[in-house]
Amino acid sequence: MTKKNPLSETGLSRRDMLRLGAGGIGFSLAGGIGGVPPVFSQAINSVAAKQSGKILVVFEWFGGNDGLNTIVPYGDRLYYKHRPTIGIKEPDVLKIDAQFGWYKSMSGIKRLYDDGKVAIVHGVGYDGPSFSHFTSISFWHTAAPNSGNEYGWVGRTAANLDQSGVRENMIVNIADSQTLAVKAPRHVPLVFVDPQMFKRGVFAQEKPLLDTLAAEQKPVGDAHKYVLEVTRSAAQASEVVRAAWTAYRAKANPDLRLLDLDKVVALIEAGFPTQLYYVPLRGSLFDTHVNQAAPHDRQLQYCSDAIHGFYSEMQRIGRADDVVMYVHSEFGRRVPENTSLGTDHGTAQVNFVIGNAVKGGMYGKPPSLSELVLGDNLQSTTDFRRVYATLIKDWLGADATTVLGQPFETLGMIKEARR
Amino acid sequence: MTPRTPWSPGPASWQDDISPLPPSEWNYDRAAHLLAHAGFGGAPEEIEKLADAGLDRAIAALVQYERLPNPKLEPLFVESGFWDPAFDRFPESRPDATDRAEKSGASMGVDVKPAGNRPVQPVSDRFFYWLRATMLETRRLGYWWANRMLQTAHPVEEKMALLWHGHFATHENKVRDYRKMHQQIELFERYATGNLRDLAIEVAKNPAMLYFLDAQYNVKGAPNENFAREVMELFTMGVGNYTEKDVRECARAFTGWYFEDLAFKVDPGKHDNGAKEFLGHSGNFDGVDILRIIFEQPVTAEFLAAKIYRFLVRDEISPVLRKQLGKVLRDADYQVKPLLIAIFTSKDFYSAASYGGHIKGPVEHIVALMKHLGAESMPGVPDFNQSTIALGQNLLNPPSVAGWAGGKAWITPGLLIARGNVARDTLIPDMTGFRDWNFNAGTDNVLGERLRDGYDIGAATAVNDPSRMSDFDRVALERDEKFNTRISGYIGWEQAARKLIPTPRDAARFDLTSMVLTSGAKTTAEAVDYLTWRMLRVPIAKEMRSALVAFLTKELGTDNVDRARTYMEDSLRMTVHLMMSTPEYQIV
Repeated sequence: MTKKNPLSETGLSRRDMLRLGAGGIGFSLAGGIGGVPPVFSQAINSVAAKQSGKILVVFEWFGGNDGLNTIVPYGDRLYYKHRPTIGIKEPDVLKIDAQFGWYKSMSGIKRLYDDGKVAIVHGVGYDGPSFSHFTSISFWHTAAPNSGNEYGWVGRTAANLDQSGVRENMIVNIADSQTLAVKAPRHVPLVFVDPQMFKRGVFAQEKPLLDTLAAEQKPVGDAHKYVLEVTRSAAQASEVVRAAWTAYRAKANPDLRLLDLDKVVALIEAGFPTQLYYVPLRGSLFDTHVNQAAPHDRQLQYCSDAIHGFYSEMQRIGRADDVVMYVHSEFGRRVPENTSLGTDHGTAQVNFVIGNAVKGGMYGKPPSLSELVLGDNLQSTTDFRRVYATLIKDWLGADATTVLGQPFETLGMIKEARR
Repeated sequence: MTPRTPWSPGPASWQDDISPLPPSEWNYDRAAHLLAHAGFGGAPEEIEKLADAGLDRAIAALVQYERLPNPKLEPLFVESGFWDPAFDRFPESRPDATDRAEKSGASMGVDVKPAGNRPVQPVSDRFFYWLRATMLETRRLGYWWANRMLQTAHPVEEKMALLWHGHFATHENKVRDYRKMHQQIELFERYATGNLRDLAIEVAKNPAMLYFLDAQYNVKGAPNENFAREVMELFTMGVGNYTEKDVRECARAFTGWYFEDLAFKVDPGKHDNGAKEFLGHSGNFDGVDILRIIFEQPVTAEFLAAKIYRFLVRDEISPVLRKQLGKVLRDADYQVKPLLIAIFTSKDFYSAASYGGHIKGPVEHIVALMKHLGAESMPGVPDFNQSTIALGQNLLNPPSVAGWAGGKAWITPGLLIARGNVARDTLIPDMTGFRDWNFNAGTDNVLGERLRDGYDIGAATAVNDPSRMSDFDRVALERDEKFNTRISGYIGWEQAARKLIPTPRDAARFDLTSMVLTSGAKTTAEAVDYLTWRMLRVPIAKEMRSALVAFLTKELGTDNVDRARTYMEDSLRMTVHLMMSTPEYQIV
């Protein structure tokens, strides 16, 4: 099925739509950005904001998060048998029920859970799991475990949502280099970390030549073709991203520690037309082979605080109904602790889906701690592509079967699932 | 002016053909292609020499570089003097440092105070001092290495060392010892084009690598798989060529390997002497045996040959070529030079697919940029490390054990814009606005201001305005803390900066006016043509060329270059800035 391009109803020309990458940030002209064409009337801004559709933010916890010390099965004696030293003791658990609880430093996301806005998915994984960070994350990125796909699942979702590929800034990727998940057949994802760096420094007399940088020409090969495409994308995106960032006032609030999610808030607040945001954590800080207690505590707190802060920002700007966040890692960790007070690479993990549109609670069957597989590992109970399908179909309203190449049953966690 | 050899990609039919280029096909443009890929490009005079030498002698000069003197090479690295043997076995974290001190009364050679406020503060300060010191010294080390890349007469050696740094990747962030990173640079230079099996064995015994992949936790009875997995997945064979059991057996073979200071050691008591089964072999293997078995696998030669090819030539390699080049490497018993000669001699290397097929990595890009300008040393403004970080490559700090993704990953909209900005900041540096980041504690600067304004530590490190803190809170802070980590972060900066040898903050030295006049260019069009020919491999769009000519003519007020000779330097620099911002400048 084809989803109607929301921008096409505004009667804008393609050139105007290019500029609509600027979304609602016309107001930031006062921020000292010279030379931005004054096309962003408030009318256009509000159209862009209201019709930009549902937003998905993927927050990837790279490194292999230890799910058992995140959603702690404190009610299961076997858990403490496997983890006599680094197992989370009952007083350090924020209880959900008689069986499970959040690790204590995750009070931020726990509050959202208590408000019914967080779905926990247990036992997420795939058959024939890889224990390699890079292989496993590539399976997650392509949604093609033990197989491959040239494009990422987010990139393919974009193609399904916008089959003509005309929408600019459909995908934003806050990363040092493009994440495979967003590699797209029809769109050029906007990839950056520091909005301030996203500025072409030129002297006044050089400015007229900037449009010529991306002059049409026949590429000499594949690398040239790629660099030409990115040059065009950079030209249209740089000013609008910076303007959005300049306009984002809450970045000065020291109590809001959003990690890289602050850039996402800034763009959403500015009415960016982006539907798909992908934010991988930088550094493999979840890779806790040795002495994991302190770093894992810290890392979970940072991430949980960031998620809570992000949600409260969405409420502040009135977009909390329109945004769903999805959290996953590339794998969980080995069930028994190792002798270095850490854990080694494992299999199944917990995922989180967060937002007003989510029916909070626990989904998926928790893996058994007695019947371990593949050398002391959890048997996954929920294929990760079921979570993807839920997000693609029930939340974004795209055709999950086309995107994923085969049908997957959705998990029923979205309140008003699209048809 | 002598006519210039045009852009000369070979026919598409040469792609994947490793038979040698016929001598008649050798020309200036192909020599330029060779130097851009094998090294960091160069001035027309260097390329001319290679062109005149003929294909075989040109390649021999580049690859068999040991024979060539190397007079301009940046000398030995001069240390600031941060190292103290008490930093050996540096604590893994601040809590580790202060806990250790509270138990034993000292840590890192610093004692806990016998009485008084914040008795553990000196230990906490010491911890942060070393973190800052090794980080700052590593920046100097990266700058020093970049100068070697620029000044060496052996560009292939430095280019390959850069490859091995990204391939056998460790980062100072975790290693926390600039001396170990320095030791690695020397290792990668020494084995740059040597025997790959020997290099892999040396890497497995290298202190930075041992620490980086948790060797100290890999002991008999409790193997840690971190190194075992990466050595096969990332360093030699690639995923899918071994089983999980092979990983476990491999880890056992490396048990007991560790380091003391900068030396490799084996602890026989922690080494697992039992029999292992590995890749179909069984025996009482140790780490070296394991690596020898790995290098007997044909897939290892293919994996490594492909890695080298993709780093030097182009991002994609066909399965056929991968097999062929793997065989070359294997037949040479993993000597790299024969493989390099085969690649650089092949028709494939000069085919249309390889021409313009390589996106320059950031470090490579900046070294090449200096060569294009004729600068003989790295400038201090802009800062080399800040520049490459802006372009996505923090030398000596690759993002993970997988190194840098390379290829298309080097280019995003943000990174592409940053390339133009680095070119501008090099051509027209902001000398008066420049602030040396080595002497800037960032958000901690405010702590220094507050201490100097007479605030005590508790007030200075309060999150909010210290003048609005209640006396009660302030007294409570002074009484309760054993140490204050936030102030340690600041003091660490200060103390490290006192010792740090400053990096000279000079602008890049070059002269585009005389470069253009010497070229014989008479008109602005000829000047633009000369500069693009000198600096770019891939031709720019016609529209861009005319725009540049019009720009320069307008800036100079004439199209007569000689008429403008007394005032044209900055206009030429802007012209080159625009050239270096084109998509074409990013690829070779």
